[in-house]
Amino acid sequence: MKDRRLPGYLLVFVAMLLVPAVVHDTFLLRVFTEAVMWIGLAVTFDVLAGYTGYLNFGHSAFFGIGAYTTAILMVRAGWPFAPAAALGGAAAGLGALIAGFPTLRLRGAYFAIATWALARAIQQGVLMMGITGGPDGMRLPALLSPGFFYYVMLGVVGVTFFAYWFLLERAPFGLKLKAIREDEQGAKALGLNPTRLKIQAFVLSAVPTGIIGGVFAYWVTFIDPASTLGDLVSDQALVMVVFGGMGTLVGPVIGAVLIFAFKTVFWAYLSDYEVLYLIILGGVIAASVVFLPDGVLGVLPQRRKGVKDHG
Amino acid sequence: MELLPQALVDGIMLGAIYIIIAIAFSLVYGVMHIIDFAVGEWIMLGAFGGFYLYQWTRIEPILLLPSVFVVFAAIGYLFQPLIHRVLSGRRGNPLLMGLVFTFGLSLMFRGLAQTFFGFYSLSIPSRFSNGSFFFQNGGLSVTISSVRLTGLVYALAITGILHYLLKHTDFGLGVRALAQNREAAGLMGVNNKRTSAYVYAIYVGISAMTGVLLGMILSLSAKMGPDYTTFAFFVVVLAGMGYLAGVPAAAFLLGIIQSFFLIYLDPGYTLLAVFAILYTILLVSPRGLFGKGV
Amino acid sequence: MAEPILEVDNLTKSFGGLTAVNEVSFQVRPREIVGLIGPNGAGKTTLFNVVSGYYAPSRGRVLFHGKDISGKTPYALAGRGIGRTFQVVKPFPGLSVLENVIIASFLRHPKKARAEEHAWKVLEFTGLADRAHQSAASLTLAGRKRLEIGKALALEPTFLLLDEVVAGLNPTEVDHTIDLILKLRDQGITILIVEHIMRVIMRISDRLVVLNFGQKIAEGTPAEVAKDPGVVEAYLGGEKG
Repeated sequence: MKDRRLPGYLLVFVAMLLVPAVVHDTFLLRVFTEAVMWIGLAVTFDVLAGYTGYLNFGHSAFFGIGAYTTAILMVRAGWPFAPAAALGGAAAGLGALIAGFPTLRLRGAYFAIATWALARAIQQGVLMMGITGGPDGMRLPALLSPGFFYYVMLGVVGVTFFAYWFLLERAPFGLKLKAIREDEQGAKALGLNPTRLKIQAFVLSAVPTGIIGGVFAYWVTFIDPASTLGDLVSDQALVMVVFGGMGTLVGPVIGAVLIFAFKTVFWAYLSDYEVLYLIILGGVIAASVVFLPDGVLGVLPQRRKGVKDHG
Repeated sequence: MELLPQALVDGIMLGAIYIIIAIAFSLVYGVMHIIDFAVGEWIMLGAFGGFYLYQWTRIEPILLLPSVFVVFAAIGYLFQPLIHRVLSGRRGNPLLMGLVFTFGLSLMFRGLAQTFFGFYSLSIPSRFSNGSFFFQNGGLSVTISSVRLTGLVYALAITGILHYLLKHTDFGLGVRALAQNREAAGLMGVNNKRTSAYVYAIYVGISAMTGVLLGMILSLSAKMGPDYTTFAFFVVVLAGMGYLAGVPAAAFLLGIIQSFFLIYLDPGYTLLAVFAILYTILLVSPRGLFGKGV
Repeated sequence: MAEPILEVDNLTKSFGGLTAVNEVSFQVRPREIVGLIGPNGAGKTTLFNVVSGYYAPSRGRVLFHGKDISGKTPYALAGRGIGRTFQVVKPFPGLSVLENVIIASFLRHPKKARAEEHAWKVLEFTGLADRAHQSAASLTLAGRKRLEIGKALALEPTFLLLDEVVAGLNPTEVDHTIDLILKLRDQGITILIVEHIMRVIMRISDRLVVLNFGQKIAEGTPAEVAKDPGVVEAYLGGEKG
């Protein structure tokens, strides 16, 4: 099953590499950087949500763990950026391992609420701890180079995307995850160990998210529990994935770009109506479930052979 | 240690209310196979309903409970077909889609509540709010506030009514049949859609009433929903999913744990501590306290 | 002759107060087709669930190739060569027929290319090759039952548990499936089959084991069992023939 879309993906990636050469406005470049970040967050969310069928409502916890680990290492221990961010990813992965063991034994829907509750608990915990600066957050050393951050973010997200492409679309792993999603009990009879696969998917989803969090921390220079551990990260990732098309690598990308574009426009003109954004997000999620069961991707004309992917 | 009995008593009072939330929540899961992420929001909306109803009529809130139930049950009844549509979609994994859908609903409700009701914490006054009973035995003393006592009475009453409904009426029989085996129940004449609609209506009504009580005992705010969703979930998982008989013990345990942490620990850590306990219990006994969960 | 492939030894399975399988013992010898019959609720599917690892026995043991497999996970047992179908078929609805079988093929063929090759062979053997790219959800019942068997086959089992694989099929489809099962036995697979349609099970089974209310009430060749008074009485409650 050769994937004819790979050259297309590579092309898009190369095009994105050229963005800083074309875009000189620093504000615009930051918008692009954030868009890339959201693509990463949506895709990592989809590994567990779309492929495995488990909604991790606590996705923001991985992002926050990565951000705070990086910040703490750089500020309190003087580490350079790259290893700090890498360890941020490792910490998130470790968190997934620890949190995964008891929670992945729960059925899918209960797992969702369990992770959601855990994320809230972690947010509360971080608010209380001294080392994290509590509610005042942490300030990282400043590096004013939008180009640098764009490339780092693009690099992380790009590597993640192509690694996922290999693991989920090319290698057996992706199909095995889908088997779990479709029928976990039935999958067992075919020799699949659901708990092990789920934990692997969980960690696979967590590590890049943690690294992205680390990059985010260094990039925006200031983090606090509200911005990195709040619901908004998970909620938006969820919308992007559900709206874009779950269980496909491209769906979340499309969803991320569209929702992010909407969000940017919204905040530009309607930032007084913060609460309205929440309502709209909720509405889009609910409406997508009812009217767009396969997301936006499901509505696009099928350019691939056969109808094999969606029932 | 003098605070121990007080913590216990407070915990039991709180636990009683959690029982109701958890039972209603479990019932909906058992019958409709949906995990309603918006349970906390129904509670919140009920609380505001009671608040404004009180403002408007100045009738003792406890007496308003039945009307709150009726109004919200009607709302729930109207809502149910939408949920049914989500669950019978052709897309695989309806349980997951139901969860996503109700999650979206909860965001909308919370946003709408913040828009219309503002961000402040309110409370519903009641003529029971200031009274309390004081017990003393030797060195131990316990104060039971009247309003919490009413909460306990309410919890007992609702439990009793639900028990009667489920065990001694045809409707209840249909509900239990549906929960056990949907196909077989349908073949025997149980109307799935209608029974589900009634169950969902009852669930919303009960959640709303509980919200009013919580507004009287504690407080209400547009943001209170997630906390109660969390606790509903904790109780249900601790009890063992699908194992209704385990709910009372789990609810009391949770109420007591929460009570303890509120008294002895920084309130900010409560959620984390409760979660740590839940986590440990799940590690040891993934099917709930009694090992009877699914 | 050779030692039995499967031995169910005094197996009991209870759920709370309900005993679904009560001290059942029997053996299945290599290359036999043994039919497991009994009225509804007799405990047949529960027995299957224990043998395939979905339940652990309350008492007693299950031996496979002489080794105790009681309580092992279904995926471990798949690795040891036990395949099964489910009474209520479990396709992966959102995936194609081919993908369904590829997933099953991963057990013995970890690399995707090999697995796909193997899957195609299985599809051709079960007559599903023409529908390979259709979604599993779009198959007819007959197709889904065949897919169910195909997936179990892809595991390259030495022992197959077939649970009502012809229920709901029309006579032509039934005959087709019977041929398939006999072909499997010719290839060296031992089969334990549950079925309600009498003419099917009488025809293909070498031996029968009869359960009623969780207990074994008869065992023997189809001819012997048909004459057993206990069996006749158990079925007088009205079973379709």
